[in-house]
Amino acid sequence: MKKHIKSIVIVLIAVFAFSLNSNAQRRKNKKTKDTHEWRYELDCMSTGKQGTYLVKVWSYSKKPRFAIEKAKRNAVHGVIFKGFAAGKQGCKSQKPLARNSNLESEKEDFFTDFFKEGGKYMKFVTASNDGAIAAGDRLKVSKRLYKIGVVIAVNKDELRKELENAGIIKGLDAGF
Amino acid sequence: MRKIFITLLFIALTNSVFAQAKKPTLMVVPSDVLCNQNGWMKTFNNQGTIVKVPDYKRAFQESTYLLLVISKINQLMADRGFPLKNMESAIKTLESNAAENAMRSSKETGASVNESPIDQLKAIAKADIILQLTLTLNKTGPKKSITFNLQGLDSYTDKQVASASGTGAPSFSAEIPVLLEEAVLSHMDNFSSSLQTHFDDMFANGREVIVRIQKWDDWDEDLETEYGGEELGTIIEDWLADNTVKGRFSTTDMTEDMALFEQVRIPLFNEKGRAIDARRFVKKLSKVLKKTHQIPNKLVMKGLGRATIILGGK
Repeated sequence: MKKHIKSIVIVLIAVFAFSLNSNAQRRKNKKTKDTHEWRYELDCMSTGKQGTYLVKVWSYSKKPRFAIEKAKRNAVHGVIFKGFAAGKQGCKSQKPLARNSNLESEKEDFFTDFFKEGGKYMKFVTASNDGAIAAGDRLKVSKRLYKIGVVIAVNKDELRKELENAGIIKGLDAGF
Repeated sequence: MRKIFITLLFIALTNSVFAQAKKPTLMVVPSDVLCNQNGWMKTFNNQGTIVKVPDYKRAFQESTYLLLVISKINQLMADRGFPLKNMESAIKTLESNAAENAMRSSKETGASVNESPIDQLKAIAKADIILQLTLTLNKTGPKKSITFNLQGLDSYTDKQVASASGTGAPSFSAEIPVLLEEAVLSHMDNFSSSLQTHFDDMFANGREVIVRIQKWDDWDEDLETEYGGEELGTIIEDWLADNTVKGRFSTTDMTEDMALFEQVRIPLFNEKGRAIDARRFVKKLSKVLKKTHQIPNKLVMKGLGRATIILGGK
């Protein structure tokens, strides 16, 4: 009987440990899935300091905190692939750094690694006000979906140099 | 034999792989309207007509704002691997060169440096692409804003190859230098982007140049003279069709005395993989005319993008 109880306890502990691990994995997948479809919008906030763009990133997520975490990644993605339209305070529209619309699929290996959790993209972004969100920037767009706006500064000069050095985009002086 | 072949192949490959196109020079120049609005003009009487021309030296001596904007543009372009020629320095260098040439004489014969009127005419601050700058300070009551216009103009084809323009947000409190800096920062990425589009087009379709054919007035033949049953003008057109990238050029003018070819797309490299410009390209035509048709000629160039052949002698 004692032997049986011991076996049952071991099995229960194993099941508990496994469920903890799979829960964490599921949360991580959910977080990534929530924002990994590159569903976001960029608004120009103002002319940033030299070498930077100051943008507001609107990300969608079922849980607001996931969107906040991923706003930085979306901001870098937007500066590379989407660009943004003119905004308030004399903010000018900017073209994306990538001039080839198929670049993301052509250099898939590079960008998968670049945008992974804690990837290199983190070097080029800073959240303004420590990522604090204004009251009007937390919108509930449906029963289970939030649209969150976070102001992010993207160091576009360093980002461009990084992509040029990696051979992903061409520099202005390439070929001369 | 095999070793020699491999060595030659290696040299040819390295030549073509590492070949670099001739890099155009860029320079920021204040526009005529900016100079006129600020009184940086010289006036002179040209046979009864009063002519106004920009006085760039005075502009650089009087305006700190102009220096600030040019310095910012130069800095941002240098960051992109494209340092610009500084017009103020170019003007000073020309002045000092002229003074040195005037004073210089040969130690042995006492001869002075020879400079033709054409050489004197060409001694101006120039670049392959001129970045023409126009700034306007707008005031509405206490509000101030800056309208910024930067045009990249090809010196040879006269085409606008890049641009960025717009008006910044009006401000009650910001000082003019701050507004100017903001204008430059917010426009230079778009300007660089349009310049890059121009360079991409150049690498894909060749450099666009102008080719002009003229004749000395003492030459007895002209462009309508037949050589081997074909008019000289047509022979030149056929040569251009065979040697331009995808046969692209436009015959803008063709008379018995002159021909003007525009939008001539020349390859960036010759068959040896060396970078070429309009002069090196037209040199081949000059040789063909001389060797095949026994027409002596003189080749004259202007920067990377303009070359003229004058038929009938050197």
